[in-house]
Amino acid sequence: MFFRVMDTSRLPDLVRGLSRDHEVIGPVAKEERFVFAAIDDPADLRLDYDTTLLPPKKLFFPPEDQMMRFRVADNEVLDDEVFAAPRVLLGLHPCDINALLLMDNIFLKDYVDPYYKARRDTTLVVGISCVPTEDCFCNSLGTDEAHWGFDIFLTDLGDRYFVSVRSVKGAELLDDFVETREITDADTAAFQRVTRERKDKFTQDVDTSQLPLLLDAKFDSPVWDELGERCLSCGACSMVCPTCYCFNVRDDLAPDQKTGTRTRLWDSCQFSEFAAVAHGQNFRESRASRVKYRYYHKQWGYLSKFERVLCVGCGRCSTACAADITPREVIAALAKGGVE
Amino acid sequence: MTVANMYKEKGSNPYRPWPARITSIIDLTENERLFELRIIDESVREGFQFESGPFVELSIFGVGEAPISISSAPSKQGFIELCVRNAGDVTGALHGKKCGDIVGVRGPFGRGFPFQEMKGHDVLLVAGGLGIAPLKSLINHIHDDRHDFGNVSILYGARDPSEILFRYQFDMWKHRDDFDLILTVDEADETWGDEVGRVTALFDMIDIDPDNTYGAICGPPVMYRFVIDEMRKKEMDVDKIYMSFERRMKCGIGKCGHCGVGHQYACIDGPVFNYWEAMNLQEAI
Amino acid sequence: MAPRVVVVSLASDFGCQVQMTNIEDDLLDVLGLIDLSYWQLASSGHMPAEYDVAIVEGAVTTEEHVELLKRIRSVADVVMVIGACAVTGGIPAMAGEGDLEQRFAYVYGTDGANVARGRISPGPVKRIIGVDYEVPGCPIDTAEFLRVLSHALQGLANRLPQEPLCAICKTKENVCLFDKGQICLGMFTRTGCGARCVSLGRPCTGCRGLAADANVESAMKILAEKGYDIDEVTERLAVFNTREEVFSR
Repeated sequence: MFFRVMDTSRLPDLVRGLSRDHEVIGPVAKEERFVFAAIDDPADLRLDYDTTLLPPKKLFFPPEDQMMRFRVADNEVLDDEVFAAPRVLLGLHPCDINALLLMDNIFLKDYVDPYYKARRDTTLVVGISCVPTEDCFCNSLGTDEAHWGFDIFLTDLGDRYFVSVRSVKGAELLDDFVETREITDADTAAFQRVTRERKDKFTQDVDTSQLPLLLDAKFDSPVWDELGERCLSCGACSMVCPTCYCFNVRDDLAPDQKTGTRTRLWDSCQFSEFAAVAHGQNFRESRASRVKYRYYHKQWGYLSKFERVLCVGCGRCSTACAADITPREVIAALAKGGVE
Repeated sequence: MTVANMYKEKGSNPYRPWPARITSIIDLTENERLFELRIIDESVREGFQFESGPFVELSIFGVGEAPISISSAPSKQGFIELCVRNAGDVTGALHGKKCGDIVGVRGPFGRGFPFQEMKGHDVLLVAGGLGIAPLKSLINHIHDDRHDFGNVSILYGARDPSEILFRYQFDMWKHRDDFDLILTVDEADETWGDEVGRVTALFDMIDIDPDNTYGAICGPPVMYRFVIDEMRKKEMDVDKIYMSFERRMKCGIGKCGHCGVGHQYACIDGPVFNYWEAMNLQEAI
Repeated sequence: MAPRVVVVSLASDFGCQVQMTNIEDDLLDVLGLIDLSYWQLASSGHMPAEYDVAIVEGAVTTEEHVELLKRIRSVADVVMVIGACAVTGGIPAMAGEGDLEQRFAYVYGTDGANVARGRISPGPVKRIIGVDYEVPGCPIDTAEFLRVLSHALQGLANRLPQEPLCAICKTKENVCLFDKGQICLGMFTRTGCGARCVSLGRPCTGCRGLAADANVESAMKILAEKGYDIDEVTERLAVFNTREEVFSR
């Protein structure tokens, strides 16, 4: 990796430059919250955002994603292409960059998901350093720093950005569109200071070290029943999660019933029909078993395959849950054996 | 090139079903039919290789997809047999199809029974109801390589005689002395000349060499625990007892998340697991 | 032969039938699939004696409705109910709360008995006869109507979504109305509308009825803890759901 320094005042130059050949997407305000949206005017870009309502997964794996068009008569696919235009995703926090790397394990390995891949291949990622919010606990999961998964990363030093360049494409874009300079020892020292100060701002510390073991050893813990009674089975946690990838598939016929579309839709393991099979057997009928499965899969199922937990500590589920079920609380309750 | 490599190396869209023509339909019971399919694309048809136990996603556009285990043996080239109960929208739509109609197939997906590892050993197959569907593939495969195996016993139970699947074939096999076949039903009628009672009661009727026997189980979820108990009573090894799980395998390729069983996915890590693995899968049995 | 379809209306404002006319672009395609034998809103003739599919709008409010429904059930292979009034009883069913006669007397005076003869406590169609397909909502969503009609014509299962509205609302990136202190019935209500109201800044009124997956008890508890007036929440839920349904959960 190599490093440059760029004045913060140069940011609009970078946005305008990137806009020439790419759609630029970044955080913008929506009421008092933020969303990732197309940036038409660099002034709309809010790199000071805390977190977004939906994570960037929506740009690679949309909530409603048409997979193919078909003809009924001979069961033939008419079209399964995905159109992906060149994009730059500008302003991703480290947690969200790490979340995409976790999604890559699912969608880009073994059976490659062509829809996800097409969008991932045509999207450049520019990261930005963040300020921890009260719900984040990425520091507990080692996802508070991004070492991979970006083309350029900007660390805000106040009047200037400490720019980490990871890819050739990133280096070229930087070179083409914005004035930068070599780093000095003072820049590196400022970078270290800023990083240290940020680390001190985390308020949450979630101990997940024994979790896989606890999840098995306390599989029948009453904690899950208590959580199941509270859970609204609304699936909000899964929707806002940057690493939840489960989906359902739906066929829709055109009004003449001759052709149609096959579409996938975000799904949630919290819904009652998620694990039901055609003969009527439902493998997770109770709310408690569904709440438990979400944690079991994220903290152990995924880990057993990819050696990472399927959570980056972004805190979105904690914010979104009307029943205030938070990973922090669930993990602590499991360790102690009861909900407070 | 095998189909698996078409997906994994060539990057064929794994969600895109291959058109397949229905070449034969046999009524097995009131609710179950055996469909024989022939994939239309020749290279796909030839690359369609698997060990007994995997499934396909049967795809009927406008209705949806359903995971169906393959009933034919891998050695049956060019055709795939699916034993399908009319139990939902997709299977209902399939039951509405005629010979010559075209449906879609994705797969084969999933890990099957360890056929190569089983060679040279005795095999005890236990099926309940529709669970005979994937085991039929294994039975036929063993049949093709019969001299590679020791004793082969098949215990098969159904609710009543009308629900015994492949009865024509089993009636034929009963007269062979290289398969020990015992059929049982919960409720007999006047046509029934075989056993009456649960499949687990048949264990008293067989002798097995526990050190040398592989088990293969498939049936309704409630059956597993009881059959495993019997196999363990016979002192069979936990890692030689294999079983196939039914879950909601929607994508078939480890993405959609619906078939989670414990920390694994039934579609790619299974659907066949051995008992040691299953003991380590929460809520599996 | 195309299935013969009749569209009949019980107590409603015909809004869902009007929605059916709003299909416009696709109406001809749909009409190509069915033999529309009778449509109360658009036909001047009488309902035929034979038909295959009955689409019923409106709540059951009179003995006459009960008789009509029983006749429909005995003739039609498929009964499809559309709109909140027919599916959950909707707004007409509010009149069924408490003492019906007292309510009538209050509204129509002492000779109220003569105003609506044969009245019964208003309720959903499923209270009287078995129902095969449902399109909830006030009014119905035309795309959902077409999908359910297509499922009915193909003989596929009636598949109403089971989960509450919150998930789809999250995908629309709406700022949660609870965070703004408003009462939104999304956590109680069957999804499938695409969170249209909330996306326009209005709280969910629950017009699609209680979601099967909804955890009503917990939701009430949470709302009470957060300082909401539970009587008001119940009152709002009772607009499109019968009170007995809310309390039974």
